[in-house]
Amino acid sequence: MRQIRFPFVLWLFIVATLVNLFLQPDFLQPVTINSNLRVLLPLILVAVGQAIVILAGGIDISAGAIVSIVNAFLATRIGLNGDPGTATLMITLSLLAGMAVGAINGFFVASLRLQPIIMTYATSFLFGGLALLILPNPGGGMPSSFTKFYHDTMPLGVPLAFYVIALVMLAWYGLRQARYGRYLFAVGGKADAAFQTGVPVSLIQFSTYVISGLMAAFGGIALTLLTGSGNAQIGDSLTLSAITAVVIGGTALSGGTGGIGGAIIGAIVLGLFRNIVSFANIATWWQTFVNAAIIVLALAMPGLIRLLRRGNT
Amino acid sequence: MAIALSARNIVKRYGATVALADASLDIHTGEVLALIGANGSGKSTLSKIMNGVVVRDGGQLRLDDHVVQFASPYAAKRMGISTVFQELSLVPQMTVAENIWLTHEPLKRGGLIDKQTLRRKTEELLALFAGTFSTKLEPDTPVGPLPPDEKQIIEILKAISVEPRVLILDEATASLDNRQVQRLFELVTQWKLQGQAIVFVSHRMDEIFQIGDRYSVLRNGTSVGEGVLSDRTRNDLVALMVQGATAANVVARTRPTAAELAAQNVQVDVMDLQAAGVHGVTFQLHAGELLGLGGLRGQGQHQLLLAMFGALPYTGRITIDRAPGHFTHPRQAMQRRLALVPGERASEGLLLRRSILENFLIPSWRDFGFPLRMGKARAVASNMARSLSLKMGGIDDPVSSLSGGNAQKVVIGKWLLRDPHVLMLDDPTKGIDVGAKAEFYKLLARLCDEGKSVLLYSSDDEELIGLCDRVLVMHDGKIRVELAGAALTKSHLVAASLGATQEELV
Repeated sequence: MRQIRFPFVLWLFIVATLVNLFLQPDFLQPVTINSNLRVLLPLILVAVGQAIVILAGGIDISAGAIVSIVNAFLATRIGLNGDPGTATLMITLSLLAGMAVGAINGFFVASLRLQPIIMTYATSFLFGGLALLILPNPGGGMPSSFTKFYHDTMPLGVPLAFYVIALVMLAWYGLRQARYGRYLFAVGGKADAAFQTGVPVSLIQFSTYVISGLMAAFGGIALTLLTGSGNAQIGDSLTLSAITAVVIGGTALSGGTGGIGGAIIGAIVLGLFRNIVSFANIATWWQTFVNAAIIVLALAMPGLIRLLRRGNT
Repeated sequence: MAIALSARNIVKRYGATVALADASLDIHTGEVLALIGANGSGKSTLSKIMNGVVVRDGGQLRLDDHVVQFASPYAAKRMGISTVFQELSLVPQMTVAENIWLTHEPLKRGGLIDKQTLRRKTEELLALFAGTFSTKLEPDTPVGPLPPDEKQIIEILKAISVEPRVLILDEATASLDNRQVQRLFELVTQWKLQGQAIVFVSHRMDEIFQIGDRYSVLRNGTSVGEGVLSDRTRNDLVALMVQGATAANVVARTRPTAAELAAQNVQVDVMDLQAAGVHGVTFQLHAGELLGLGGLRGQGQHQLLLAMFGALPYTGRITIDRAPGHFTHPRQAMQRRLALVPGERASEGLLLRRSILENFLIPSWRDFGFPLRMGKARAVASNMARSLSLKMGGIDDPVSSLSGGNAQKVVIGKWLLRDPHVLMLDDPTKGIDVGAKAEFYKLLARLCDEGKSVLLYSSDDEELIGLCDRVLVMHDGKIRVELAGAALTKSHLVAASLGATQEELV
């Protein structure tokens, strides 16, 4: 069903922004926005891929592990003294690798019809193991000129991440206007009906895992540019954060409703929550708890509102 | 007339069950072929083989005299075979236009969807059924919350939007009201003249004789007869379907007279009940009475039953067995010995993958203590299965292994185990075959003889006439006409459904 009312995630976004502004007066300065967004970009990219899988009724638990693979791969193959030529080649290769491991997920889930949550949980260890093989101990990295470029480039005074997000939104808009977008919603909404109508259901499901792999690879590239170093477990925490971002963004885990825009804002909201916790002078050992409590509350809010409304009638 | 699609000796097995043993069918261009058979005779399976949803195990399909093999529904669709599915193939989250044009959206150059054309063509299709909708139907209305009849119409529009050469209508009229059926038949006549071949799968004899040119009968997965409909009577066809058994449309039952009913206790007294879609309904239901609710689909009958069962907020007064009852939750209604048998048995009434035993006992487990006394539970469930003459492999088989009629008996049985005094039924025989219906009617008659009160909403006029003591005809959320005794005839019922008043009729 189309949401006609103001999306819940935008309320969260506004509240989180206001609190941030209160705690950190220079919050809306381009430089601050840039520093916030460059940290969030890896999560945003992974969340976008995750949203597409979830829209079509699946889930990709291995996305974080794919990020780790790409990070380990780039950190070892480019290295601290790498030249731009090698870097371009390796980045291209890492995108192909992301799609390839995504295709493995797709094969298991779409072609063999195995449970996506179990299957991608299992492959997440496979991919995580692969990342550890590539880079057993944290190390390696990228030349500082690369990370500096990622950190400080603001074409026309606008943070680099804005351009990336705009490109992603543009691609999504194109998909939505093409048959593929309709197929995505149809498969996630009611796969039986889509099949009877003649939608290539398995192919669509397969493709969503390839897209998720590709987006995770982009996320891995951004994360490596952000940290400038390699760590084979760096992506692990991204999986659940990305799923949380997708759900806060209004995409139903059952599939068929939602979109990419919500997932992007959801990811930003998660980042703003984290900012609030770290700027509010909350003692370190409370931070995880408070951050998690805010997320739980945000997830539960639509349900709570429904419950209260029902109580009134 | 040329043969458009021909099925020869089709075989389909599901494990040990043979769904189709030897089914053959010829569909000519420019005619309506009525495919008939009892539930479980293989009509739906045969339809699904012709449209590529199910892959056959044996036999041959010929399209325009070429042997064809459909690997997927898409392949069949591209060859011009389109289907109105019984269980509908709509995606609830998507809009009317998106559903109708899924997989064949009009595209602009560059592969993007042409929204203007999409909208215009959808409006053209909706115009075919203009005036028969109860809600405002637009191309961008989401399909999910729509009433069943409108979903059905969208399913029909979706099937014809590909301009098929062969159109399969599988129980396409089951959810439609009279007016909508007549509109569909006008359209079918038109499509016939344009050279489409139409397969009409239905349980409704009236409709088969009204629209069909030829018939083909399936019994237990085997084709047992075909020919021209005008040579046949209703009883001929029923005899072919059920082999030997005669159809009992009317249950032999001594109906209580008005005086006798008035002498009985008033079991339920409803005063000025108002709810969403119900605008002030007053009636009395006596003990041992079989009271019918009729009228066009979607005139508040469903909501009335839900409100009485406490599943829909309402105002007004309900008295049950001389004590007031105001229910805000079905649990309270159940405690006062009310039971509601829902119409959508798959989605509302049954856990399809769980056993018959479990389905019977879901509302009554508390009677079996802790830990559950399974021996007693099995005995109770088996007794109920026997008294309903349920045709099943065993009490532990999943409900999904039962035919539609038998599955419906399980829904009723689970409420009977709670020993209700008042049984409310929401269009219970929709999509059930003749044989199972007759048995079902006997069951209802027996319950009334035992002193229970039955409130039956049905979209099947003959059922109401043949079975009920009184029929309340609803129109626009109100009881428009009450028919009983000699006044309870089909012409009165139809006239009242279409808005005639009590004075005009009696």
